[in-house]
Amino acid sequence: MSAILDLKGLEVSFDGFKAVSGLDLSVGEGELLCLLGANGAGKSTTLDLICGKTLPTAGTIRFRDRDITEVHEFRRARLGIGRKFQVPTVFRELTVEQNLEVARSEYPGVLSTLRRLGVRRCDRLEEVLELVGLTSKRRAQASELSHGETQWLEIAMLVMQDSQLILMDEPTAGMTIAETSRTCELFNRLRGRHTLVVVEHDMSFVREIAERITVMHQGQVLAEGGVTDIENNEAVREAYLGSRGIAHA
Amino acid sequence: MSQKWLLPLLGYVAFSVAILSVPAMVGDNVFLLNKYARYLALALPAVALALCWGQAGILNLGQGFSFGIGAYAIAMHLKLVASASNPGGLPDFMGWNNVGALPWFWEPFHSLGFAVLAGIGVPVLLASLLGWFMFRARIAGVFVAIITLAMLVVGNLLVVDQQRYTGGLNGMTDLAWLNVLGLQIDPYSRAFYYLTAGSLIAVLMAGFVLVRSKFGLILQAIRGNPERVRYFGYDVARYQSVAFATSAGVAGIGGMLYAMVLEFASPTFMAVPLSLAFVIWCAVGGRQSLLAAAIGAVVVNAIQGSLSEAFLDTAQLLVGGIFVLVVLFLPRGLGGLVEDTATRLHGAGARLRRGREAVEKSVDLPVKRGEVAK
Ligand SMILES: Nc1ncnc2c1ncn2[C@@H]1O[C@H](COP(=O)(O)OP(=O)(O)OP(=O)(O)O)[C@@H](O)[C@H]1O
Ligand SMILES: [Mg+2]
Repeated sequence: MSAILDLKGLEVSFDGFKAVSGLDLSVGEGELLCLLGANGAGKSTTLDLICGKTLPTAGTIRFRDRDITEVHEFRRARLGIGRKFQVPTVFRELTVEQNLEVARSEYPGVLSTLRRLGVRRCDRLEEVLELVGLTSKRRAQASELSHGETQWLEIAMLVMQDSQLILMDEPTAGMTIAETSRTCELFNRLRGRHTLVVVEHDMSFVREIAERITVMHQGQVLAEGGVTDIENNEAVREAYLGSRGIAHA
Repeated sequence: MSQKWLLPLLGYVAFSVAILSVPAMVGDNVFLLNKYARYLALALPAVALALCWGQAGILNLGQGFSFGIGAYAIAMHLKLVASASNPGGLPDFMGWNNVGALPWFWEPFHSLGFAVLAGIGVPVLLASLLGWFMFRARIAGVFVAIITLAMLVVGNLLVVDQQRYTGGLNGMTDLAWLNVLGLQIDPYSRAFYYLTAGSLIAVLMAGFVLVRSKFGLILQAIRGNPERVRYFGYDVARYQSVAFATSAGVAGIGGMLYAMVLEFASPTFMAVPLSLAFVIWCAVGGRQSLLAAAIGAVVVNAIQGSLSEAFLDTAQLLVGGIFVLVVLFLPRGLGGLVEDTATRLHGAGARLRRGREAVEKSVDLPVKRGEVAK
């Protein structure tokens, strides 16, 4: 499998505190990688580095054989990197449909958006609405959605954006069991078409979707491998599972 | 066309028809006509503000900067026309300030086309430049307000200071009438009123489309969360700059019309109180809608106009009071009130329909009379 994303020796420090230090990570094309780690392990910061929200103090980021370490955020998005935030971030004053229209960004220039309508109905829009079960709420304001629905809307926006690489920060946080299992289905439909990096705490969810798991600890990669490898890894048990208890998750 | 378009469009059309029918109603009262033309000219900067503040969330407290540039651009042209018979074609105030010959940058203003182009183009250019620096640096919110306000103060000082070229504190007075293709347009005429109303309608209609385009949608998204928009691949700074510059152009048009309707240009156009008044009109009308902002400007000016005839100084106080009340109780302005009422009526109608359906269904229940009682 050829790597679509390659992180080498990444380092970030906030006021001297190293949130990420010497991180090496490689993600193959079409792969679904789960990123695990205790609170504060540096998972979100790693995603921030990939999408450009945070610039590294050292190291390089390569995406599709291109060095994007210094590339501006919106250009990274145009290159094919999408991001879902840990705190669901949608446009609360806009309707569900409008949110998805913003996400449909194959022509992001001013001149092309001037020539388009605010919301264009098309099969793709219907498909995505159907996928996350928001068809009946298409006209609702995003602020009226429940927490789970807001999470889905943001996931739907990423599907709409159709990025090659999708970074998901805790997509099932705050979801009910039924909602989580639905999200599972959704991810299984996304895999293959997109490369996914998913940060998750819910081990049953991870077991359901993960092909490969990378565990982070104190800003570094602690272990990598399949689900059973990780669950049986002593170092992981000590550093992470001890604190949250993977066995009962 | 979807329903979401239809109702607002009806509002825009109704407003257009209303302002176009004013001349027929006021008849020969040219003073009244001139007064209404003034209100319509002042609606333009409010609309401009609704565009950049209401849509994109950029609060420009220095809208008077662009408004003033527009006013001075057209005033320079009309002053030159009025001064044609002076020695050297020199405006009177230049003579008083011992300016010997017409400065080079005044020369092109002999052309009306150039003046109009400058009245729109210079604000657009300067706003693009300022916007570029501000929005690249991700300056937002109150800092944008402070910077634009500072820009306004600098512009005002410059105009007052450069008396030789601008007429200083007195501004430029005794302007000629606008002359389009040999047609003299008296600011107290129907023709001038229609010019102003037509400009406002054109801007409103263009704005109507702009707000409902995907470009408008992106601006609204940026207002809500610029960060999120960026990660979808949009160049947020560019969108903000374009909104800011377009708004400046509209304010410039308003300034040109305002100078013509008053027949002078003055540094007060670029003074802080007027720019703050623009914000008030826009907020009272409702910044989320261009039409509401225009109506806000007209209504507040009309109230202020009629009150000041009756009470003079207390008028300002009353307008200030109205503003405070609106901000406290109607955060989305009068436009928001209308919208909410419409939604509520619509909702009540829907509930009524649902209720009736439910009743009809319940009548169909396959329960025979008397059965329930058992
Ligand atoms: N902008 C910032 N300024 C200062 N410290 C930060 C900043 N962002 C993150 N940190 C710190 O860096 C460390 C890693 O944070 P990060 O958000 O990446 O953790 P995480 O693995 O995503 O944890 P969680 O599971 O709680 O989301 C934490 O200790 C956090 O406090
Ligand atoms: Mg996190």
